[in-house]
Amino acid sequence: MARKKSSAARNQKDILGLLKKHGARIYDDLDRGRFPHFEIPSRSVSNIVYDTELRQYILGNSAALRSSKNTSQLRSFTQLMWLAFFANRLTQEKKSSTLRDVYYSSQAFTIDFDDQSESDNIIVDLEAVLAKPREHFHIFPEERSSVFGDLNIEYTVPGYEGKRMNLSNHPDGYAIGPSLTSAELLDTSAELVIAIEKGGLFTRFVEEQVDKKFKAIIVDTGGQAPRSTRTLLKRLHTELSLPVVILTDGDVYGEHIAMVIKSGSANAAHLRELTVPDAKWVGVWASDIERYDLPTIPMTDSDVKRCRDLQKDPRYSHGIWKKELDVFLKIKRKAELEAFSKYGLTNITDKYLPHKIELARSL
Amino acid sequence: MSVNKERFNQISPSEFFYRNRDLAGFSNPTRSLYTAVREFVENSLDACDQAGILPEVRLEIKAVDPDKQDPRTYILSVRDNGPGVATEHVPLAFGTVLYGSKFGLKQARGMFGLGATMAILYGQITTNKPVSVSSSVNGRVQDNFQILLDIQKNKPVILKHDTTKTRRRGLAVSISLEGDYSKAGAKIRDYVYQTSLITPYASITFLDPKGNSYQYDRIIKSMPAPPTIINPHPHGVDVETIRRMVLESQPAMPAPDQAAVRTLLTALRLKDESAGYDVVIPRAKERWKRLKDGHKLLVSLVSVLECGLMDLAHTRIEEIDVLGKKVHYYDLKSAKTKTVRMDESKPYYSHLARLVSGETLQSFLTKRFQRVGRQTADRFAKFAGFLPEQRMGALTNQDMVRLSDSLQTYGEFLSPDPSCLAPLGPDPLERGMKKFFEPDFLSVVQRRASAYSGFPFVVEMGVAYGGNIQNRGIKVYRFANRIPLLYDEGSDVVLKVINEMDWSRYKVKSDAPLVIASHICSTRIPYKTVGKENVADRTEIERELRLAMQHLARKLSSYMSRRGKAEAAKKRANLYAKYLPLVSQFCTELAGRGTEPKYARILKEEGVG
Repeated sequence: MARKKSSAARNQKDILGLLKKHGARIYDDLDRGRFPHFEIPSRSVSNIVYDTELRQYILGNSAALRSSKNTSQLRSFTQLMWLAFFANRLTQEKKSSTLRDVYYSSQAFTIDFDDQSESDNIIVDLEAVLAKPREHFHIFPEERSSVFGDLNIEYTVPGYEGKRMNLSNHPDGYAIGPSLTSAELLDTSAELVIAIEKGGLFTRFVEEQVDKKFKAIIVDTGGQAPRSTRTLLKRLHTELSLPVVILTDGDVYGEHIAMVIKSGSANAAHLRELTVPDAKWVGVWASDIERYDLPTIPMTDSDVKRCRDLQKDPRYSHGIWKKELDVFLKIKRKAELEAFSKYGLTNITDKYLPHKIELARSL
Repeated sequence: MSVNKERFNQISPSEFFYRNRDLAGFSNPTRSLYTAVREFVENSLDACDQAGILPEVRLEIKAVDPDKQDPRTYILSVRDNGPGVATEHVPLAFGTVLYGSKFGLKQARGMFGLGATMAILYGQITTNKPVSVSSSVNGRVQDNFQILLDIQKNKPVILKHDTTKTRRRGLAVSISLEGDYSKAGAKIRDYVYQTSLITPYASITFLDPKGNSYQYDRIIKSMPAPPTIINPHPHGVDVETIRRMVLESQPAMPAPDQAAVRTLLTALRLKDESAGYDVVIPRAKERWKRLKDGHKLLVSLVSVLECGLMDLAHTRIEEIDVLGKKVHYYDLKSAKTKTVRMDESKPYYSHLARLVSGETLQSFLTKRFQRVGRQTADRFAKFAGFLPEQRMGALTNQDMVRLSDSLQTYGEFLSPDPSCLAPLGPDPLERGMKKFFEPDFLSVVQRRASAYSGFPFVVEMGVAYGGNIQNRGIKVYRFANRIPLLYDEGSDVVLKVINEMDWSRYKVKSDAPLVIASHICSTRIPYKTVGKENVADRTEIERELRLAMQHLARKLSSYMSRRGKAEAAKKRANLYAKYLPLVSQFCTELAGRGTEPKYARILKEEGVG
């Protein structure tokens, strides 16, 4: 059967092609007696701009030259070169690695990183050069987020190729790790993705069979969503055409967790594959606190400061984002997701969630 | 009224030094051993320098009883190949205090040769053993003495004296003394090491009590020019010195005895010894131009005293007072002092007066001071308010003080003549430092002579960097008149100058392997303390040191930038050599090629060997 080429295989091919292109360029430079160099898009604050069309932060046009001729850059040039070489092997062999792993692997090649933060920086450099997230070249974050729901996947990692799995088989959910990230998303009966900030509520949702009641795939972001989780959310949205709604604590940090899923962070401005611009933040809003009469705690000074900082961000200059920030600043109080338990453990799933999903459909 | 008589006793110099031996550096067994070594070694080197002999000095320290603990008795022996001491001088030179050969105005290591006798004295006090001296002035026979010092009488007591055959010229001195080598050892080794550095024309051997031998061979085979004894510089004299110089300039009072009178008779072609005034003066007028100065003086005395020739033979002139126009004399016949007024109209009065008043100021200045010519003398006289023709014998006390003050303050004198100095010279210093440190960079400078308070001095300095230099940070070797200064480093003017330098301006890091050797030569080193270990910060000396230091630092700086560039290039090359092969390896696999790119060309262009 003429199956559509899997996204994992496509990613692998893209990355290998990019790496080879850079390798060949550098090879040719050396061969012609020239010092090779990399052009690395600048990630300095002045080069990070908000793209209203893409609805995310992107890097501007300025780029830094990293030349092997300059002896103060030669070391980091070689480190970057090594990482490209290492990423190439990882991708070809479909082996996964972590930031920490990379740091130690370097030592086998006499590429000495002073510390892990130096190697982490080089990894981000390579992301910027390739404009691809590191997951594509098989460097993964530590797993701390999970997913649950009626979703069939097919593994592509070595040893599991072709093996299929339904993500509702295990009530604790499935860790969003390298194998899940690189798996093919086959099919689903779900019509919605609910991303929720907290593991406790994730478990409640599974127990209350939110997946069945709302035909939803539930994703625990574990606080600020790791990039693999954001990648998965994006894939669920683009490959399976599922709308994404986000449920967070009713505070400024919750609001921002939603925003990062929707439009990325300044830290990842060099990447385009991590955002779900159509994702909808449905709560807990500042205005919900009054509407649902939730128990609250007062905002701290740093909460207030964070509000004021976000007010300067162009993404918070309009719509619900601006409105809710203003309300937070007005009431100076915040509420957690668990606050609904005041009205019974299932209040959130029985009353609040239906309201909000209804609302999301109308947005 | 009670009788409370104080007894005034004169004490001998020996006894004085015995009572004040702390002053001379013999305060304890550690210091004493070190001081004794210095005194003997310096005496040997000075003797060789003066005789123009390339010194060979052998120093040995041996414990009498090796099983005893320090402090214990040591035998200290120093042997040199110098001129030796003549037989008749040996007992006095080694058996009395204040008998020496170093009383002129020139640079030498020691001042009066006092120290060696102090060491002998100290040895005798602590061990009651005599000093052994063997001296040969000709390399054929040698006098061997054993001498004790009679402290009360300041006289040598010769215990033994014999003469033996030898084939070696020079002096060997050996004393036993109480010492502490375990504490003094490091200083003594430093002393020998540094002495060899500043005396590269000497061979020095040191055998220590543990049986170790430290051998420093001669590095150069030529002696630096010996110093000459010269006149003082006008800035360097005080009133008392001037008074003494004026006295010395006066002619001796004539003491006409019968023999002198007879030669005058012959010169005047007279036979009669009783020739009186009336005969002598006309005859003298005829033959005046042919008379010698001494005879002219006698004739003019006959004239002013109005006496006969033989009367003169019974006269002892005590004073000729030109200002008071009087002659005081002692008449041998009557055994009385008599005074005669001088009559200016007498023949030859003015001759006598001129003679007695001494030389003119102009002549005094030009003859008795260094680097004063007639023009300078005349200009100075004007400055000081004297006539150049002013007779020195006619100066009053106030004149004397005015003259002295003016000599100090007159600014136009040429700087002092450094020929009385014996700097080592840039070449020997350079070769010495080269041999000692084998540095990557070496530069020496000899500043031209300058003076402080009339004492000439010369600053020599050398800077060595890298190579065999082990120390990190600046190591300073200080020398004065070829003596290493080992103690009291902190308060020394050399250190002050070095510490005040902004070394970073000269690209010298604080941990640079740097050696600075500084040598100050002067007829008088302005030591801060009696210990003679640190030089006071006289403005003139400080200035010369600073100029020398800056001169060398500039040279060092340009070396450092050359070295810096070379190092940077080397560092670059090393980095390329380290990283490019890795880059090549990685990109070959990335690009999927079978062979590595030809990057050797880049390495070659960047000077990777």
